[in-house]
Amino acid sequence: MTNDLLWVEKYRPKKISDVVGNELAKTAFINWLQNKRRRKKAVLIYGPAGVGKTALVNAASNQFNFTIIEMNASDTRTEKAINKVGKPATSFVALDRFSSESKGNILFLDEVDGVFGQQDWGGIKAIINIVKDSLIPVVMAANDSDQKKLRPLKKVCQLIRFQQVRIPLIITTLRRICATENVEAEFEALERIAQNSLGDMRSAINDLQSISEGKQLLALQDTMFLSARNKDIGMYETLKGVFSAESVGEAAMVLNHTSVNYDDFLLSISDNLPLRYPDPADLATAYDMVSRADVFRGRVGTENWHLLRYFFNLLAEAATVSPKTFKPFEFISPPIRIIKLFWTKGKRMKLENICAKIALKCHVSRSTAKTDIVPFVKIMLEKQKSSPIVSWLKLEPDDVDYLIKMNKF
Amino acid sequence: MKLNDEMWVEKYRPKTLDDIVDLTHVVESLQAFLKNPHSMPHLLLAGIPGTGKTTVALCIARQLFGDNWKSFTLELNASDERGINTVRDRIKDFSRYGRTGFGDVPYSLIILDESDQMTGPAQTALRRIMETSSRTSRFILICNYSSKIIEPIQSRCAIFRFSKLDKTAMIEHLKKIAEKEGLQLLEEAAVRIVEYSEGDLRHAINALQTTAAYQTGVIDEQTVLQVFGEASPRQVQLMLNKALSGNFIEARKMMYDLIGQYGFSGSEIVRQMQRELLKVPHLTDTQKAELTDIIGEYDYRLTQGANSDIQLSALLAQFSKFGK
Repeated sequence: MTNDLLWVEKYRPKKISDVVGNELAKTAFINWLQNKRRRKKAVLIYGPAGVGKTALVNAASNQFNFTIIEMNASDTRTEKAINKVGKPATSFVALDRFSSESKGNILFLDEVDGVFGQQDWGGIKAIINIVKDSLIPVVMAANDSDQKKLRPLKKVCQLIRFQQVRIPLIITTLRRICATENVEAEFEALERIAQNSLGDMRSAINDLQSISEGKQLLALQDTMFLSARNKDIGMYETLKGVFSAESVGEAAMVLNHTSVNYDDFLLSISDNLPLRYPDPADLATAYDMVSRADVFRGRVGTENWHLLRYFFNLLAEAATVSPKTFKPFEFISPPIRIIKLFWTKGKRMKLENICAKIALKCHVSRSTAKTDIVPFVKIMLEKQKSSPIVSWLKLEPDDVDYLIKMNKF
Repeated sequence: MKLNDEMWVEKYRPKTLDDIVDLTHVVESLQAFLKNPHSMPHLLLAGIPGTGKTTVALCIARQLFGDNWKSFTLELNASDERGINTVRDRIKDFSRYGRTGFGDVPYSLIILDESDQMTGPAQTALRRIMETSSRTSRFILICNYSSKIIEPIQSRCAIFRFSKLDKTAMIEHLKKIAEKEGLQLLEEAAVRIVEYSEGDLRHAINALQTTAAYQTGVIDEQTVLQVFGEASPRQVQLMLNKALSGNFIEARKMMYDLIGQYGFSGSEIVRQMQRELLKVPHLTDTQKAELTDIIGEYDYRLTQGANSDIQLSALLAQFSKFGK
């Protein structure tokens, strides 16, 4: 068995027909590529990881003799960097187009959604400009097309959607690879690899290679080592995993693989702790950890990302204060605060508004107005609704009603 | 009795430095500056709430610029507008393009209330502006804790400390106001108000005005107690009691009400909890000290952390443990 190459490289599709699944998307892309009078100059291919987006672009250009000029998320893509490569690439038609078999160039921007962080400021604008001025086709690929930042980009692109590869197709592909590699595999083993991949062809091939390394025979039990190792774990699964962990290490492992938003997750943990620890002493210890984790979250800010590991470890400790007492329970998700704040926003704004008026008149901050003056004003108004201070404070009639009806702090 | 058209805190706010209650040493040195406005440095007024810092600042403005003081003064509350943008935009613009000078006074005045709430970057920006605009503007920074003001700013200011107001002076002042309003304020009522207000004259005057809404003519101790009962933060008390009786879930619900319905910030809630804790009857002083220590720790973590809900929940959890 040769181990020189990663199988994902070795079996990378050479022709369009090698790309498995997503037939509709393939046809759409090929039509777009071949048709000289395409409606839009650019195409955005989006879909989950490992389903063949990049493979299709490479295979198609290979087959139709396009030359690819590629920019990947690993290159920095500031406005400047994009223009440096993109501008010259798109403003000329290659000479060899007239002489040789080459059909010309394609600009391929892979992983465009991984780009537009703070370092890539202005990147999206630059890409749109390039698309507008480009003389050659522009192909882009992204994992998640719903990202806000990509929205302006979607307007200038034709959209092609990729889906997860169907499990039977993955199994067939794995079998073909096994045949070439002289690995005799049980069907159940391949099935489990395929299912575990959740439609991600690349991870399925990687898994196959890693567990069949050095083996002639692949049985179902060999696949038991597979865990849902590289899938995005959602909020619910993360909570479940963390809370049912039996040690800090186990909980930390789950946290390392989660893709949930840290801040939401922190709130969710905090919401669920009381359900997890009925004993106040355990609860207090767990909350102390969560509180420390939050302090680290504050220190992480937007730059010190290496501090996140402490954040995660502390959360893991919070979830495993007394592992033996764990009983399954219904998780609260999404965070309570988000719901609460949404419902009460109107009320809150009203009070803020009143406080601002008082603050202006009494030379205090809005916050002092709220804690120190509003309680007194409320009582005065309760006693005498038409009190002259109403007009002095410039309160509207509904402000007065609000203050009178308001519950005490 | 008639309720007046103004909040009494404003109506009876001293207009000149001479009228100010119980701050002789501060007033004397400020008067000296005002005789020769050229010599007035930037000022930093530090002290607990309700001791007359803002009043002193406004008196200075009035004495420098007369009735038109508002045209020459920028009054900002840093706790409401604490970011660096305020400093950059409003303060910078005012200090650069604002009117410069009135009569003998060659500068305009910028009063920054609660300036200890300003973020670090904002203070750093401010420091630079104070330097470049010292010909055209003077700053009066007001704060509760001068330690929260960065040192370079402190060193550019003359610092005045305001301590708790003297009780007898406060009682005198309340009586004077009552007299002007045609009220008879009984001695023990006045003592009560002052006692509950803990040296915060603003609080005391607000309480006095509120009691006047209850009763015409004579203000007695009973009414005062009633007002303080009504005006005390009931929700915060309830939350505290729930937590201390070990009912974390209820206490946390109330915390969310405070945040959700009234828009209290984390530090506001902590501050109120601290105030109310001292009034809880069934705790010994040692227990109160222990709980105060916990509150203090979480108040600090609030400033460090990213999310106030978490810190408040954690604080309540510690209280519930304590209660059990």
